[in-house]
Amino acid sequence: MAIMRYAEALNAALREAMTADPSVFLFGEDVADYGGVFKVSRGLREAFGDRVRDTPISEQTLAAMAVSASMTGLRPVLEIMYADFMPLTLDALVNQASVYGYVWGDEITLPFVIRTQGGGGLGTGAQHAKSLDSFVAHIPGLKVVAPVTPADAKGLLLAAIQDPHPVIVLEHKRLYNTRAEVPDDQGPVPLGRARVARDGSDVSLIATSRMVVEAEAAADRLAESGISAEVLDLRTLRPLDVEAIVRSVAKTRHAVVINEDWGFCGYAAELSATIMEHAFDDLDAPVERVATRDMPIPFAESLETAVIPDADVITAAALRALA
Amino acid sequence: MTTPTGTEDGRMATVITVGAAAGAYMDTVVVLEWRVAPGDAVRAGQVVAVVETAKAATEVEAPRDGVLSAILAEVGAEIAIASPLGLIGDDADATLATAIQPAEGATPTAPATPDGTARRADAPRSTSGEAWTDRIIASPAARRHAETVGLDLQAVVGTGPGGRIKVRDVTAALRGRDEVLSELAPDPLPEFVPAAVTEAAHPLAVTRSGPDTGTPILLLHGFAGDVTAWHAIERRLARTHPVVRLDLPCHGRSPRQRFRSFRDFIRPVLDTVDALKAGPMHVVGHSLGGAVALTLAERRPNLVRSLALLSPVGLGTEIDNHVLEGLCRAARPESLTPWLRRLVVDPACISDAYARAAMVAREDPDLRASQRALAASLFPDGTQSINVTPLLRRVTMPIRLVWGRADELVPWRHALAAPGRVALHLLPAVGHLPHLEVPDTVTQIIRDMIVCAGSGNRMADRGGVP
Repeated sequence: MAIMRYAEALNAALREAMTADPSVFLFGEDVADYGGVFKVSRGLREAFGDRVRDTPISEQTLAAMAVSASMTGLRPVLEIMYADFMPLTLDALVNQASVYGYVWGDEITLPFVIRTQGGGGLGTGAQHAKSLDSFVAHIPGLKVVAPVTPADAKGLLLAAIQDPHPVIVLEHKRLYNTRAEVPDDQGPVPLGRARVARDGSDVSLIATSRMVVEAEAAADRLAESGISAEVLDLRTLRPLDVEAIVRSVAKTRHAVVINEDWGFCGYAAELSATIMEHAFDDLDAPVERVATRDMPIPFAESLETAVIPDADVITAAALRALA
Repeated sequence: MTTPTGTEDGRMATVITVGAAAGAYMDTVVVLEWRVAPGDAVRAGQVVAVVETAKAATEVEAPRDGVLSAILAEVGAEIAIASPLGLIGDDADATLATAIQPAEGATPTAPATPDGTARRADAPRSTSGEAWTDRIIASPAARRHAETVGLDLQAVVGTGPGGRIKVRDVTAALRGRDEVLSELAPDPLPEFVPAAVTEAAHPLAVTRSGPDTGTPILLLHGFAGDVTAWHAIERRLARTHPVVRLDLPCHGRSPRQRFRSFRDFIRPVLDTVDALKAGPMHVVGHSLGGAVALTLAERRPNLVRSLALLSPVGLGTEIDNHVLEGLCRAARPESLTPWLRRLVVDPACISDAYARAAMVAREDPDLRASQRALAASLFPDGTQSINVTPLLRRVTMPIRLVWGRADELVPWRHALAAPGRVALHLLPAVGHLPHLEVPDTVTQIIRDMIVCAGSGNRMADRGGVP
């Protein structure tokens, strides 16, 4: 058992996957010589040579390359530097990757991975701080994961690379330097299984990505008032672990759904609707939705803090649900 | 802030709301005064009502000329600021059904949550044909919980946002009942055995308890019951009043006989009451005992000072035949308990000890056979052949009907056959055995009735003999 940074855990997964399977290769902007802007691919160029390649700045082309390479039997892992640039990849995802399996039946599989990172809180401004989770989670045929802990970062990336279908890995820029224990034998984490980050009985805080960290802080505050909050880390955004959500809501009867994407038509709305569809009679209060305000992410720290949800906002939402 | 809304026939009604006058930080206001009455003509700008906001009384003006057609929030009511206070129509006929809630854009008053979404509970509620005041706002979980325990949400006070009933409110409503039940639960078996003072000299078995002086309370049990049925309230009543319990014919320790009619059945009861020479009594009858009590009151008006009828038979036609048959058949506590529990909302109030006590007399096959015959005579084919409704009009003492809203044996709606003079207590989340399920409530009702019957000179009013 070793203490690892989140970025190191991702690096370990890439190293392990590339060692085990020669068809795995990495490409993206500054991933090779520079080791990735967040240093996730540090040292891999030295270890694996041409299997780690720098590319020009052209996300639309890169995504199409990932689709095409996977069709030939390779397992490409593409890094898109910021989730804000994911819209440039959408044609390859919506019109190619997600439909080829359907159009050609079982004749082809598309075992590629796109890693990207989103989220705010580091003063990166309106074009480098968004979480566009719903853009990719919306598309049938894609799988989407969002690890929070270093152990899950390694486990979910390993599972994503091994999966025969396209998987989008949503990392978070504020998680790269977080440290936690990662078991030496940490293997793939099954896709589609949520994790109870904290057991509780009064209200369910159902969160994704770094919002899980804020939800845990909110749970600490609620505990000071004698409120027992359960924190559910979804881990996989698609396919959704509906059973885990229903189990938690049936227990607590109160739900707060939390996602760092925008609220309107956002991923949190999907969670809210899912609860309504599957657990309506368990609800003792309307589902509370916590999401980023419907506006560009401000550069100024004070404004950014006001726009992106935090433990305060989650705590307030939980108290409203319990009112 | 007003919104005209179309009526079915094209006329327009306008909703009066407090609007911006309440101030930005107010959620609710309290109605202090209405300056006009329904039907009054009003002019635009005229002060029609006064409401209390955070710091001051605020005048609410009529949004337009017209007629005040409805007051939707009475004086004293606390309402959300976006809720309608009243309606102004072109004439007094405009109704809530035709004027719907303030329309889009009329209610930007609900506080915004940090993520920018509006608070739903404070938003105006859709009327959708129901009266505003009648609609129950309850969470889905609270509704399911109430249904499970047989609680009527009408009786529950909601403490959630906008008065929404939450699970905790249902739990709180049940708690009062549970406290009474827990008081009952530890009773050891001997409590249920009739006290030693059982007299065999009368046509029917008589059991006395309580003080020697005072106006006695006569308790008449229901079909298939006996003196043990009263244990919960007998203990309470006997603290202050002599309590006399009869075992009805074919029940408990009274003789097993065959009767051709209710008229025959009542005869030994009248004879026993006459033989008691106890003077005027307050009479409480349950179920079949209720019909007996009412008949007694009609035949012996001078001996019955007041009358409490708990879930009585004889006021309607239907009765659950399966339960009656099940009670008759039961030859052991294990087979009796499920049928007794069918009669109550919370099965916990039929303890094993109670069932064993109730079974003591029923172990006699002769008693069970005579009760089966009695049921066939009084309740053939799930129908009540007794009709004592006319008697309610012929007696003059105070009468209280006590009925559980969840009574599945004898529906509470039979109470609607009673004349207006008769008081009706409808008990939420109570089945056919209110004296077992909510003994404190039933005791209080009986005590209130006794107090009520004790004042005034009623007999003189009707020219009778005291």
